[in-house]
Amino acid sequence: MYWTGLSPDEARQYLANKDKSKRDKRVSLKEAVQKFVKDGDNIGIAGFVNGRQPIAIVHEIIRQGRKDLTLSYQSAGLAIEYLAGAMVLDESKNSIKRMELAYWAHEAFGISPLLRYLSERNKVELEDWSNYNMSARFKAGSMGLPFIPCRGPMGSDMLKCNRAVMIDCPFTGRPIMLLPASHPNVALVHVQEADIYGNCRIQGPLFTCPEIAMASAHIIVTCDRLIEHDDMTRFPNRISIPFFSVDAVIEVPFGAYPGNSHGVYYFDEKHIPEFRGACEKFRKGNAEPLKEYYDNYIFGVENTAEFINKIPASQILQVQKSESGIRLDAAYTVLG
Amino acid sequence: MAKYSEDFTAQEMIVVAGSRTLEDNKVVFAGTGLPMVAITLAQLTHGPGIVPVFEAGAVGPELSRGLPLSVGGSRTTYKANYLLGLNSAFELTQRGYADIGFIGGAEIDPYGNLNSTMMGSFPEGYQKPKTRLPGSGGASDMACSCERTIIIMVHEPRRFNEKIDYITSPGYLDGSPNARWRAGMAGQGPHRVITTKAIMGFDDETKRMKLLATLPGETVNSVQEATGFELIIPNDVYEFEPPTVEEIRLIREVIDPLGYFVRKKIKE
Repeated sequence: MYWTGLSPDEARQYLANKDKSKRDKRVSLKEAVQKFVKDGDNIGIAGFVNGRQPIAIVHEIIRQGRKDLTLSYQSAGLAIEYLAGAMVLDESKNSIKRMELAYWAHEAFGISPLLRYLSERNKVELEDWSNYNMSARFKAGSMGLPFIPCRGPMGSDMLKCNRAVMIDCPFTGRPIMLLPASHPNVALVHVQEADIYGNCRIQGPLFTCPEIAMASAHIIVTCDRLIEHDDMTRFPNRISIPFFSVDAVIEVPFGAYPGNSHGVYYFDEKHIPEFRGACEKFRKGNAEPLKEYYDNYIFGVENTAEFINKIPASQILQVQKSESGIRLDAAYTVLG
Repeated sequence: MAKYSEDFTAQEMIVVAGSRTLEDNKVVFAGTGLPMVAITLAQLTHGPGIVPVFEAGAVGPELSRGLPLSVGGSRTTYKANYLLGLNSAFELTQRGYADIGFIGGAEIDPYGNLNSTMMGSFPEGYQKPKTRLPGSGGASDMACSCERTIIIMVHEPRRFNEKIDYITSPGYLDGSPNARWRAGMAGQGPHRVITTKAIMGFDDETKRMKLLATLPGETVNSVQEATGFELIIPNDVYEFEPPTVEEIRLIREVIDPLGYFVRKKIKE
């Protein structure tokens, strides 16, 4: 058996020695990426398809350049597409070595052009799992267990090329599938609300964010807004990621744009097709629109605020207005 | 006014067929797109008690805030009765709380096994497929652990093959007796295949696909011709009741007025 990221014993050892103090963890996104994302890392990508994807963090990784990454996720869209786009434009600066995935596409917005481009040329090693498999693998990691039993997808061809193991259950005698835990080196997570110590409150679906965060050695959190610590701890059972697990907190409004951040902004139904369209043109042989996209929106800016400045205000107002998600407990003071 | 609509698309027919297949008061695990439209239509007609579940976490929401663009999108959560994440949603299916799973794929075989991973040779060509597809997502989990599944497909010969390149979501595997049970699966397997041309089920003994009904404008021959393997054709194949004027009105005016999913042309 081989482990990508940390083995369960290494992961345990790592946390046993981690500084768990309740300290102000605000840093710039640049510093957070410099410090916690290394070449060769296994990166846990939080969110689900294009909901709460860690776009701001991924754009910063692309600006700095990281190579030989392993990406672990259940279903993802934009975050992976952006990293892949950076790779196909300049492999000497950014590259993905391997992906442990269940699904990479954009649901109603279409398939992933760069998954096709990269895999059909054998430029990235793939390990296919199901959504529940990847979620359960992170859950095993977060539980401090080396594996987790799971009821599917037994009989699928996925088992022929991934590390799942079939056994007869020692208690029922029936076949059951065992999944190895996943312990990424670093988790990239975007949430709606965090405090300066790293406590996170997620609005809407949790996806697999708490499990990915708790399974990883390091966690970088971006949030749409930082809020007062007292307001966070007024609802302790709504804290999905506790402060001592988090390494860096950065307030990045629109940090999941052009994807959906529940209760804050909806999918940008113009910008997602603009980016996906450039990727599709690349796949069909025209690299220019993708290069222009990166030069304009990623390399041509310093941060997410500058990226958002390039989007027409009418589009930004539209994604805010059309967002239907409700915030269960909106009572908080935004940190001044 | 005429009872039946004379102007409907292939997607609308799939939605109507899907809706009529759903029983009231069942928990239905669904993906984005046509399944959501079918569930909503069923809720507005014969099945107000249907409980939709989305794999990203939402259980029992109302889909009255516009059709979701993603199973994790904000519109899946409106007035939901329970909302955590992927693990909790899939745990419901393993436990036995999901009666029906609505799934699809690029390719299907006579035993209801589905491919949504890759075209090409497997396993040799796994790392360099001829065409790479998005991957399982939650479909294979639903295929294993929902009590029954309903499969939605575009009906073309190249999508219906005796042997598919890759089994992503298991149906009845090789069709041998108790194949699913022996593999360790909890759910009973595929119940219906609803396509742009027909409604199909599976033979109790052989587990091979069996034609049940032809959709309006189709015949037993036209369905068999569009299927890349031999279907079981029983004597009692019937013509499916066409969509009613009211069903089409609900789809166009109430459920998907912006035409997100239903007016989109199916890529041939």
